[in-house]
Amino acid sequence: MSMAALLATVVDTRALAETVVAAVASGIGITIVFAVAIFGAARFAELGREGRPAAALAYGALAVICGLAFAGAIVAGIIVMTSG
Amino acid sequence: MAPRVAVGFAAVLNFVGAFISLEVAATIASDVVDAGVVTPLVIFAGLVGAITWNLITWFFGLPSSSSHALIGGVVGSVVAAVGFEGVMGEGVLGKVLIPALVAPTVAFLVGGGAIIICYRVVGRQRPGPVTRGFRMGQVVSGGMLALAHGTNDAQKTMGVIALALIANGDLAQGSDPPFWVVVSAATAIALGTYTGGWRIIKTMGTRIIKMDSAQGFSAQGAGAAVILASSHYGFPLSTTHVISGGVMGAGAGKRLSAVRWGVAGNIVTAWLLTLPMAAAIGALAYGLTQLFGDGAVGPVVISAAGLALTAVMFARRIREPAPAPAG
Repeated sequence: MSMAALLATVVDTRALAETVVAAVASGIGITIVFAVAIFGAARFAELGREGRPAAALAYGALAVICGLAFAGAIVAGIIVMTSG
Repeated sequence: MAPRVAVGFAAVLNFVGAFISLEVAATIASDVVDAGVVTPLVIFAGLVGAITWNLITWFFGLPSSSSHALIGGVVGSVVAAVGFEGVMGEGVLGKVLIPALVAPTVAFLVGGGAIIICYRVVGRQRPGPVTRGFRMGQVVSGGMLALAHGTNDAQKTMGVIALALIANGDLAQGSDPPFWVVVSAATAIALGTYTGGWRIIKTMGTRIIKMDSAQGFSAQGAGAAVILASSHYGFPLSTTHVISGGVMGAGAGKRLSAVRWGVAGNIVTAWLLTLPMAAAIGALAYGLTQLFGDGAVGPVVISAAGLALTAVMFARRIREPAPAPAG
């Protein structure tokens, strides 16, 4: 029996793989969403100062949407954790 | 956020986190050693092994994992008591050792990937608003990390107390820990964070890399994601190793030389030594306790010797501070 096959019999590879996928997806995904929210907020402030309200509004909307998505992802993560 | 408020915030979330899940406690109580062979003396010797190794690493300034020390101590004392047949090899390998390798690696990759993406997205923006934004985000990511820490670490204590209750005939094998055990473990971890958390926060925040707010956010997010996902599946991780992995990843993602690899090497060394050393001390403690028979004399003598040793170590450490880490 190869080492990989031996490990596969001992390790719950499905649970381990799901853990890795969940950690990577949530860790990277939430960071991207939050970084885009900050980007949107920074551009909103900058364009507002430059007197370009339409563009500023678009970036403001992007910031709000990503901020809400970030909050939603955190809440969803806690619900998944607590639901066992 | 002021340090005292931040530590209090983390302590509260540690407390709350302890109530989220019991999967890790179940793993400790049923998948690491055969609960049928565990006696109160085995638990005592296991705890002596874990505490002694924690004190030794603290004395020499090595960052180590209390979680692995706890598991190692219990495994060592079980081996001393009944031999290797009392250890559930598959559980130790599949639920402890493999996740112990995988989790910090994943945290490193997530922390590194996250910071690269952060810099790509906000790199051309003015630093002021970006720093303020990530500082606000750190309140959330730090809170999630504290929640994750409470979830995984408090459950290990619950698992060991559950083992002791099973050994004493107060709890059926396979049962969840009683509510008072959950509350006790939650309270202990919260008080521990509140009273001693700042030292660890300073170490993790400044000694491995010099962190900016985006790196802090990425490292905390990576650590929280890995620990919470692992807790959900019942893997008892070392939260120290996971957050260290996240911090190193966030440092390496910016610049490889930003990581103090000497400190990282010390962490890995302590990581490799913790399980076998705590197991060896746990086995030794069991053997020494047994010299005094099965009664209370052995634990009393070993506890007194342990307290005396601790007092000597504290006195020496007060006179001469811990050595600075390499790098």
